[in-house]
Amino acid sequence: MIRKTLLTTAATASLMAAGAAHADCSIKVGVLHSLSGSMAISETTLRDVMLMLVDQQNAKGGVLGCQLEAVVVDPASDWPLFAELTRQLLTVNEVDVIFGAWTSVSRKALLPVLEELNGLFFYPVQYEGQESSRNVFYTGAAPNQQAIPAVDYFLEELGVESFALLGTDYVYPRTTNAILESYLLSKGIAAEDIFVNYTPFGHADWSTIVSDVIALGAGGKQVGVISTINGDANIGFYTELAAQGVSADDIPVVAFSVGEEELSGLDTSRLVGHLAAWNYFMSADTPENEEFIAAWHEFIGDENRVTNDPMEAHYIGFNMWVQAVEAAGTTDVDAVRAAMWGQEFPNLTGGTAVMGVNHHLSKPVLIGEIRADGQFDIISQTEEVPGEAWSPFLTESATLTSDWQTLECGMFDTATETCVQLTSNY
Amino acid sequence: MSLDIPRNTAAPAPSRRSFLHENPSVLWFMGLLGVFTVAVTVLSEGFGLGLISTNLVKVLGMTLCLCLIAIAMDVVWGYCGILSLGHFAFFGLGGYAIGMWLMYARTEIVIRDSLGRGTIPPTELEVSEAVAAQIFGVVGSSELPLIWTFAGSLPFQLAMVVLVPGVLALVFGWLAFRSRVTGVYLSILTQAMTLALSLYLFQNDTGLRGNNGLSGLQNIPGFLHVPQSVLSVWFFWASAFMLGAGYLLFAWVVSGKFGSVIRAIRDNEARVRFLGYNVEGYKLFVFTVTAVISGIAGALYYPQAGIINPAEIAPIASIYLAVWVAIGGRGRLYGAVIGAAFVSLLSSWLTGGGAPNIDLGFYRIVWTDWWLVLLGLGFVAVTLFFPKGIGGLFDYLVRKKP
Amino acid sequence: MLRLFPLVALTLALAITLPLRAQTDSLTPLQDALQSVQEHVASPSRATVPAVLRALLDADAPGTVDFLRAWGDREVYERAEDGLFFYALEAPDRMLALIDIDSGAEAGAVSTRAVNQIRPNAGVRREIGAALVSFELMHPEASRRLAALDNIARSPDAEQIEALTLARDAEDDSRIAARMDRLLDLLNARFATDTDVRVDAIDGLRGDISTEARRVLNQILQTRAEFAPEIPEGTNVARIRAPGSDIELIAAYATLAEAGLVPARPGRNAIRDALRRNVVDGAVGGIPVHQLTSDEMRRAAYAALEAQGSVAPLVTEDDMRAAVREVVFFDAYLEPDPAVTDAARDALDSTRTRISLWQFVSISLDALSLASIFFLAAIGLAITFGVMRVINMAHGEFIMMGAYTGYVVQTVIPNYTTSLIVALPLAFAVTFAAGVAMERLVIRHLYTRPLETLLATFGISIALQQLAKNIFGTQARPLTAPDWLAGAIQVNDVVSVASIRVAIFVMAIGFLAMLLYILNRTRLGLEVRAVTQNPGMAASMGINPDRINMLTFGLGSGIAGVAGVSIGLVAQVTSEMGANYIVQSFMTVVVGGVGSVFGTLAGATLIGFLQKGIEWFNPANTLAAQTFMVLFIILFIQFRPKGIVALKGRAAGD
Repeated sequence: MIRKTLLTTAATASLMAAGAAHADCSIKVGVLHSLSGSMAISETTLRDVMLMLVDQQNAKGGVLGCQLEAVVVDPASDWPLFAELTRQLLTVNEVDVIFGAWTSVSRKALLPVLEELNGLFFYPVQYEGQESSRNVFYTGAAPNQQAIPAVDYFLEELGVESFALLGTDYVYPRTTNAILESYLLSKGIAAEDIFVNYTPFGHADWSTIVSDVIALGAGGKQVGVISTINGDANIGFYTELAAQGVSADDIPVVAFSVGEEELSGLDTSRLVGHLAAWNYFMSADTPENEEFIAAWHEFIGDENRVTNDPMEAHYIGFNMWVQAVEAAGTTDVDAVRAAMWGQEFPNLTGGTAVMGVNHHLSKPVLIGEIRADGQFDIISQTEEVPGEAWSPFLTESATLTSDWQTLECGMFDTATETCVQLTSNY
Repeated sequence: MSLDIPRNTAAPAPSRRSFLHENPSVLWFMGLLGVFTVAVTVLSEGFGLGLISTNLVKVLGMTLCLCLIAIAMDVVWGYCGILSLGHFAFFGLGGYAIGMWLMYARTEIVIRDSLGRGTIPPTELEVSEAVAAQIFGVVGSSELPLIWTFAGSLPFQLAMVVLVPGVLALVFGWLAFRSRVTGVYLSILTQAMTLALSLYLFQNDTGLRGNNGLSGLQNIPGFLHVPQSVLSVWFFWASAFMLGAGYLLFAWVVSGKFGSVIRAIRDNEARVRFLGYNVEGYKLFVFTVTAVISGIAGALYYPQAGIINPAEIAPIASIYLAVWVAIGGRGRLYGAVIGAAFVSLLSSWLTGGGAPNIDLGFYRIVWTDWWLVLLGLGFVAVTLFFPKGIGGLFDYLVRKKP
Repeated sequence: MLRLFPLVALTLALAITLPLRAQTDSLTPLQDALQSVQEHVASPSRATVPAVLRALLDADAPGTVDFLRAWGDREVYERAEDGLFFYALEAPDRMLALIDIDSGAEAGAVSTRAVNQIRPNAGVRREIGAALVSFELMHPEASRRLAALDNIARSPDAEQIEALTLARDAEDDSRIAARMDRLLDLLNARFATDTDVRVDAIDGLRGDISTEARRVLNQILQTRAEFAPEIPEGTNVARIRAPGSDIELIAAYATLAEAGLVPARPGRNAIRDALRRNVVDGAVGGIPVHQLTSDEMRRAAYAALEAQGSVAPLVTEDDMRAAVREVVFFDAYLEPDPAVTDAARDALDSTRTRISLWQFVSISLDALSLASIFFLAAIGLAITFGVMRVINMAHGEFIMMGAYTGYVVQTVIPNYTTSLIVALPLAFAVTFAAGVAMERLVIRHLYTRPLETLLATFGISIALQQLAKNIFGTQARPLTAPDWLAGAIQVNDVVSVASIRVAIFVMAIGFLAMLLYILNRTRLGLEVRAVTQNPGMAASMGINPDRINMLTFGLGSGIAGVAGVSIGLVAQVTSEMGANYIVQSFMTVVVGGVGSVFGTLAGATLIGFLQKGIEWFNPANTLAAQTFMVLFIILFIQFRPKGIVALKGRAAGD
């Protein structure tokens, strides 16, 4: 618990083209991603993507005739620091919009500050839902855009009847599994056919758990594993799966937190056929994606770097924000929010993403099989699915809905027809 | 009898005079703390010129809380010789205790307001269920765990701030001191306790929202309309007051006969025991009182930080606490304050990107990356060459008469 | 499970038409047949495969079998412009050379974007595989035949018996033949038409603990929950469920309500919603709204509404009991023949004891594996802390250093076996050097101040950790085991141990033996013991304590490095991996008894078994196991502060 605070000015990465800066006309984009600590590996990439996008936009002439300026700060994977730096970005640096965060706990930490100071925030990572803040636009997947379609795939395509829900013990797996359990029960899967296990972050001793999963096969039903295992622990998990010879044909594993970045460096030859569900895969064969990857490789100067789902989320989020600012003619938060609703932008995987009035995107759901080269074979791609802020499969949120345009409420109870609260749960 | 009377009347006066006389640093400290508090207030956004951002006021307020736990650590380690690697756990427990009330009460206000707008007033059961769904909805549950039963009561939770760390320290200390666990073994044991506690809190089943912890603590129920710029100064005052009170308390404790005994325990435990002192009792008292002060420091710290989670309690945090005290200088209270303030603020400055990176031409020193290396090696150097820490410098400035 | 007749019919029909395949038609019937189900071929799903198979069966075109194989292997492409299907070969510049499905002629090169590669998912491939089973079973390549058998095991089917029997007669590979016999037994147990054959086959599975045997038995024993006024004639009842004990009253009533037999029971929310709808002039059923703050008052108001007839009646517990009493709740086997289910139940029960026994063996082996990892992590400490009484908080970082050494070697030497052979001694050398350097530079100045050794080594620990982050980044790096260590040793379907874990166990034993030898049988060991017990006396006997301390510390650190390589092979290499083991390692040493190698062994064993034991009782939460273990250790140390193996007399030191 070391306090890492900005006491003086932020490290300001000024990206203005020489001579284009006007003192009275500068639009500031806050970038709040951990550059050190445990989340740095995931979030540093997103910082780079933001810098690239800001660069590209400035090359196109900026926004409203002004150049964009990226203000990069480092919350160092320290959750209280996210709150502190959000306050700093909004009050000291006076940024017009913030792109950032990865973990749910960091988002929950900064939410109260954001709502207090009426900031504008774009959150790019798949998450557990059950939230719709006035000030946040969620460009990552909600459970119905990742978890539920993946389970449908298991049920319909693979005929899975017995489920092992393995997760790291934190908010995303807990909530996602709660939703999935309720969903599976509604699909006629018996409670005893759902095995749930939580492990700590960085868990290394997987042999017993993998044996337990294999033992489920004796029950006479097709077994499938839904993995919300996070980060480093996946290496031990997949190594043990491979060691015990669990093939994707016998016990398929679908993961929600394993993408190109996590697989890079791992020997995937023994994992071929296991699955992941995302809204984007690097292997998507579209002109937009080819262009994006080329630009990324050029910006980062390394042909081997992969792209992944949260990067696409930032790409869509940033471009939508630019369009919204152009449409509103100002960077004023309330005006931009109103302009964001219904904003459209092409996905990298084809089709068009649309921002809903509940601040979630409509995006296609992709399911990919791991290939030996660490990329994914896209084997299923749905139409665009609108993100649901509140899961209908949990009793406490079954009657909740979010509509910031007409109801002006992110947590509206349709049973009592009242707005439960205007702020969010943190 | 006649001899007793003057002794009784005369005794307090010299001792009071001698307490401050013997400890000029207390007066100095109080004076500096007072000046500092006034200065920050005058410069703050909420009460004065607005030269210091609300953010910085919070940072300074939190630093004062860290100074408070640092002097507690100094008493238990620097004076009594118990290298406890568990005091940050007590700090966290204090934070959790107050955090439960902050979360519950704030949510309850929101819920009562929302349900009250319905056509039919809510039942008490509905209110508590809705509160539970709000607090625990984010971790995939909707039931209020048993330990939250009295979370709505501020006096109860305030008592918990003191009682939870106190009782834990009492029980743990009693077990450990009774079986004569000392030295490095005790350190390892306290570290194991911290690890167990943080692992326990990491579980969602614990009922304290696992890894997510408690958040939104900066919004104080009953003062929801008060802007953060004002609240932050209030908390700054409270922190400064508690630091002053804690300093005074500990300075008084360590300056008397009690202080001599615990220092003797530090230097030669067996000899003190042979002299007839109840060594275990002294140690237990010091361990428990410092744990309680740590809990209070935590209860002031986390409403300013806004969020508490189990990562705060990890064993490493308690070790950093020892580092602060060692760098500041053990066995002198102001040393602990200097250490905590200096290292934590320097760390913030260097890792926050405030310090300019140094370009060596062939290599660029990025402070974010190299600060911990520097801290680690600096710490080794302090241990090897300057066992008295920064506080030791004062000895050169103020040459005491023998 | 999707079992459709056309599938089998197709396999048989194809088997008959196969010889005619050589005759090439000028028409393109296969393409035509595929176009008739174009959408289902282009975006296949498990539910639509039968339609495609049926269409192909009807068309009876040559090349069907090859097409199905290619389809399943993702070698079929759809041309975007006209929806025709082709095979393709890769051509330069991200182009594909299309090949006509019927003629095999080249059909021009196109960009990869002009065609869609058709990627049937695993479920579809399984269906295709099932359709091709009879061909694959006759395939000349043994591996293809085995794959087909696996396919049968995964999706067994009554009609496969015939194909399998045919193939069995033609099979001459004894290994495959045995596998076929086994599968035939399993298929017969489930699908044979004759009861005696089935019961015989099931009896043959008695005591068989393999997963596939138990799967078949469990499938036979599948039940469905039902209810009826009385149990219908000919129902194969598994068990009767008494409401209140075997099935909750509310659930039982809800089942009836769902079937529409009784009115649904209004829950708490339903009552509230009904009241809300019936508010008249600020009161419901005569009770003012503001009084409705308790369940009793709400129920009273509801009763008043009920009396008015404006809401559904409140269902009391007695009502529910009465309704439930009218029917019997029971589980019925899907299998109508009681003889078969009885035999299956018997067979399954007979495996139960053996399964628990093997599970116990399995968990014990896991515990042993965990214990050997703890032992490896702690054994270096047993020397530096146990023998020299030096608290080395950077011990974990030496483990990490060893693991990163392994990682670096692996990036230089691509052969995993060679790199491992190089990495082990190199890791020892690197950490030995680091240990010696640390002892010389820091620790030797602090021998009289143990608490400060703890802090100083902690400083080194954070510096090393951050250094590793700066050099290797924060991402976890894998250490890949060579192929011969990648698999598992499979005792049976219940017990299997990853080979790498066995290797680590062997290594732990090896280190134990080596250390015991060094400490008890060599001159170095003698000198180490002498210096530990009385440095002054040892020095006067001509032993150089400085040198001995340095060597001992180097040895302990070197072993940590080797442990790092082993741990990296089962887990992940990160800069924080050392920190994960350090507290546990200290506890291992303390629990076992400081100063004794055997003590460390005992400590590691105790902790390993304890953790697995707790996990066994609470398999859903691994974190809880770790917490309870730490708690137990704290208590254990309270009552046995000297550890399991407590040294006595002068060797015990202070």
